[in-house]
Amino acid sequence: MTDSTIIVLIILIVGLPILMTPVIFFTSRYSEKLRNSLAVITSGLTFALTIVLYPAAVQGDVVQQTLFEILPRLELSIRFDILSFCLAAISSFVWFLCTIYSLDYMAKEHALNRYYPVLILALGSCQGIYFAGDFFSLFVFFELMSLIAYILVIHEETEEAMRAGYKYLVMTIIGGLALFFGIVIVFELGGTVSLGVGVIVREPSLLALIAFICFLIGFGMKAGMFPLHVWLPDAHPVAPSPASALLSGVMLKTGAYGLLRVIFNVFSIDLMHNGGWDVILGVLAVITILLGSAVALTQTDIKRRLAYSSISQLGYILLGMSILNDNAITGAVFHIFSHAFMKSVLFLAAGAIIWKTGIRKITDMRGIGRQMPVTMGCFSVAALAMIGIPPLNGFLSKWTLSLGALDAGMPFYVLVLLISSLLNALYYLPIIIPAFFDVPGGDDHGTGDQHEIKFNIQEATPGMLSPMVILAICTLVFGLTPNNIAFILSRLTSAFLLLGGAL
Amino acid sequence: MFAAAPGHSFASPEIYQSALPLLVILVPILLGIILYFLKEEWVKVFKATSLVGSLFALAGVLLLLRMVISGQVRFNLIDFMQMGLFFKVDLIGWIFALIIALVWTLATVFSFAYMDYEHNLRRYYSLLTITLGATLGVVLAGDFFTLFLFFEMMTLSSFILVIHEQDSEAMKAGMLYLYLGIGGGLCLLFAVMMLFSITGSVDIAPAFNLLGGQRTIIFICFLIGFGVKAGLVPLHIWLPQAHPVAPSPASALLSGILIKSGAYGILRVSLVLFSSPDSLGSADASYIFNLGNALMWIGIITMFLGAVMAILQSNMKRILAYSSVSQIGYIVAAIGAAALMNGEGGMGFAGAVYHVINHAFFKAGLFMMVGTVFMFTRELELPRLGGMFKKMPLVGITFLIAAFGIAGIPGFNGYASKTLIHDALLVAMEHYELFSIELAEKIFVLTSALTICYFIKLFQGVFLGPVPEKLDREYRLPFSVQAVLVSFALVITGIGLFPNFVLEKIIIPAASILHYEGPVMEHLHHFHFFEWPPLEAMLIVIALALIIYIPGAWRGWFEWKPPWWLSIYAIIYKPVTEKLVAATCRMGVLVDSSVDNVYNRSGSYARKLCSYVVNIDEGIDNFYASSGKAARHLADRSTEMDSALDETYRKTGRAAQKLARQTTDMDKALNKVYDQAGQKTREEMEKMLAEKKNKEDRRERRKWSIENLSFDNLLLVLVLAVVSLIIFYFSRL
Repeated sequence: MTDSTIIVLIILIVGLPILMTPVIFFTSRYSEKLRNSLAVITSGLTFALTIVLYPAAVQGDVVQQTLFEILPRLELSIRFDILSFCLAAISSFVWFLCTIYSLDYMAKEHALNRYYPVLILALGSCQGIYFAGDFFSLFVFFELMSLIAYILVIHEETEEAMRAGYKYLVMTIIGGLALFFGIVIVFELGGTVSLGVGVIVREPSLLALIAFICFLIGFGMKAGMFPLHVWLPDAHPVAPSPASALLSGVMLKTGAYGLLRVIFNVFSIDLMHNGGWDVILGVLAVITILLGSAVALTQTDIKRRLAYSSISQLGYILLGMSILNDNAITGAVFHIFSHAFMKSVLFLAAGAIIWKTGIRKITDMRGIGRQMPVTMGCFSVAALAMIGIPPLNGFLSKWTLSLGALDAGMPFYVLVLLISSLLNALYYLPIIIPAFFDVPGGDDHGTGDQHEIKFNIQEATPGMLSPMVILAICTLVFGLTPNNIAFILSRLTSAFLLLGGAL
Repeated sequence: MFAAAPGHSFASPEIYQSALPLLVILVPILLGIILYFLKEEWVKVFKATSLVGSLFALAGVLLLLRMVISGQVRFNLIDFMQMGLFFKVDLIGWIFALIIALVWTLATVFSFAYMDYEHNLRRYYSLLTITLGATLGVVLAGDFFTLFLFFEMMTLSSFILVIHEQDSEAMKAGMLYLYLGIGGGLCLLFAVMMLFSITGSVDIAPAFNLLGGQRTIIFICFLIGFGVKAGLVPLHIWLPQAHPVAPSPASALLSGILIKSGAYGILRVSLVLFSSPDSLGSADASYIFNLGNALMWIGIITMFLGAVMAILQSNMKRILAYSSVSQIGYIVAAIGAAALMNGEGGMGFAGAVYHVINHAFFKAGLFMMVGTVFMFTRELELPRLGGMFKKMPLVGITFLIAAFGIAGIPGFNGYASKTLIHDALLVAMEHYELFSIELAEKIFVLTSALTICYFIKLFQGVFLGPVPEKLDREYRLPFSVQAVLVSFALVITGIGLFPNFVLEKIIIPAASILHYEGPVMEHLHHFHFFEWPPLEAMLIVIALALIIYIPGAWRGWFEWKPPWWLSIYAIIYKPVTEKLVAATCRMGVLVDSSVDNVYNRSGSYARKLCSYVVNIDEGIDNFYASSGKAARHLADRSTEMDSALDETYRKTGRAAQKLARQTTDMDKALNKVYDQAGQKTREEMEKMLAEKKNKEDRRERRKWSIENLSFDNLLLVLVLAVVSLIIFYFSRL
């Protein structure tokens, strides 16, 4: 695939959803059906176009192209390499499925003429982040996505949602400012913010450290890193379920992506090690993992529990980044894939339960697995993957991360991962086991007559089930053998990044 | 990665590549999965499929024997998970696999009649068959990673067997089982990963000399991981809760087979992984000795406490469950005794493996016999049972045989293995002459006596005494149940009468894989079970049992219920887990909410700051406002003053007007006067002006100008110019 084909494809991938946004907005005046189908088609096309890039990514093609200058030496540029591809592919895939899921889920909701255009615009800006060729363009798309996501967060427009949205907005702005500050410092230090020049800052200095911390705040805020995670458990549960799935499963990853770019394209592994910056990241990651798991244990609202679980899972990715060796980076990138699959299934299934029965409290979910076997089955698969039960993909990522930690001589990190797995078991099993083996209506199940209770199967619609089932199958398929696409891509990405990441 | 680490002086004589191990595992698992999607009504199909699954496994295992007896069977499925699946079957694993397949088949047949009284048969048969595959996977695995995978699978699938009843007791027991299982699984995973990172391989091969400083951690993690499943004290607490609540065939398998997978793991770790082909230095030798000693003591404590707890129970399945804990203690103590003897531990090894075989038969058999009683009476509590010997003589007789087996009565199978274990302890005692080993041997004897006691109690409670009125009816045992129970009794007596057959055909070849040597092996080759010393030991045990039982039963010691706070659960687990979970949660929530608070507070401070600014702003505003008011006041005043002035002006104006009018009048009058005076003056003036004009005109005519230039003047100028020119011209000359 030639460079120019790739550039055209990338412009299409980013441009198509952005251009379709006003189209979808205006069609909604004439036909709801057309609006919905346009949204699905746009996200599907974006995914298809992204997949077309697969051979180029696997071959190791790297494209860096300036489109035009906005300010002197600050240009809008695009970049394609395997890391971009991985993130863009998983995002557009999950996005596509969530859009399909939205059709039925959102049918009863209000303000759909706002929801669909915003959903598609967020997709475009998300893809823009991944294909941005320099930090300035990345920043532009990053801010765009963050602001657009605000509209998704406050969709319900309840008081709770507005408050969560306000918190999100304030944090986003703080993060955006920190990010911008970091970019300015890097520009000052290296004279460029392009991703195509390899390492920009070579010498450790106070200014470089400040820049790193600014990036850490900017991207870490999005990735839900301690202590910047506070917006996440408020914002994710209040959004409509497909949006929460996207927020947790995909949009959090933009922070992780940004940090990967910062580590490999601005600074270097040597600098991270010499400056002891990997320790900063490691400590924060460990706190994030343990804190997320521990707090999730105390939550009673299912979506809040899932949101805290996201915090802890993002901690795994950060941990991989702080270890910085082949296995660890592979594990981190693979966990980006795994977590996208697992967490979107969990949110979609929780959404289906809320949609069908209105139950949000975990204690009310006894016996729900017999009413909604497919939904709860998908939920269970994903939850078991979260706990790290082989042969699901969560196990593979934890195993790879642990090998990375052991390669680096850090058995302590392995212990953290295992404790977190145990905590995961403690907060996921009390959801899934009573759901299948208990009856609705409390603790007094003693009589044994519950086998006589006939449960009416009241499943969600096929349009909601199929995305869940597909994603749940993915958690199984991408864990069964290491010869799966996601794992191979992660391995290649890791090798590519460790070779310098710019080329 | 999977090749045996270099430097091993011994490798198995022959290596066969065969996919049979994989098939043996995979077929039951797949059958079980298919079964789950059949219709709930097809009970016969479930039965047939699960029987086919277990028979297939049995046939497969038997087919493996030909290859296993002369070497190893290997199969490598590299494309699975990150490490690949690797199967390696040697005789040790094969013995376990054979017992698993055999007992499983019997339990499946027993389920046919038993489960007809139960619900949810599809799930039961499906999970039963899947668990068979997983359990076989554990013992056929060739490396610790594969072993771990099947171990986890076994935990999860057997969990569903445990909670089959789904009442609150079963759910509670099941959750405990699952949490401990997953915790143990994670410990196991940690150990496997440590092993992999240190040695670069997860092979089940001697690696003691490669492990270095972290070997203690690795060993402890392995021990916890396998110990949870095996039911070692204090990790056994799930066992007396979970085994009684499961359906009887399932509890037979849990007690008879599944806990052996834990014992199998401990055996592989302590006798294979923690051994070294080369001769050890003295430090390493003493390390191994300490390891073995610790393991042996864990076993001794487990066996003793298990027996004590068993004797205090009144629920018949619970007695058997605690008895399983106790018997696992025998096995682990034997493994420990083998480990501490290092190269000469053949006796301990033989005892352990032999007891695994025996325990599988008598414990599974006992659970099924008790299960048969339960199936008809629906009663598990001893006080409400009795006299069943008359009602079900066949069950009574087979029960008695199995109980003789477990008690170690000569002529039944337990006698052989217990004698070997006892001998292993004696050999170790002779070798090291340590008080601790001597004490262990004494506790062993005491425990054996207690074993007899609780079986007397159990037998008496269930089969002797008057029949309770409620249960006084005719019982007809289905043929399948009779067949299963009789076959257990036959195996038990068969092994018991010919103990040397199993020893020589299977166990000694298995021991040779581990290269045991020395006089112990010689002794083992010609072991005489029916000689005076072992018989004497057994007689001592029986006598001791009677000495304990008779006064104990008379005084009612065995009815004593240990208070709740004395249980291990109350002493260790409840406080530890509750405090740990509470502490973790509290810490987490505390940190989380304090971070949240920091943000909120900084937000509110910022807002407060803003409000200060607003205050200042308002102050300024107020200032402006008030000064404006003052200005307006001033302006008002000035307006008033202005109007007052205006008034004054107006008044003055009027006065002035009047004045002006008068002045005008006066003016007019004056004007008239002036006019008259002026007219005269004007006339005078005009005259004067005319004169003046004339004068001026004349003066003007005299003045030189171009208008006034007359011809004669011009002529005069010309003449003058000519004259001056002439003068000028001549003057030069």
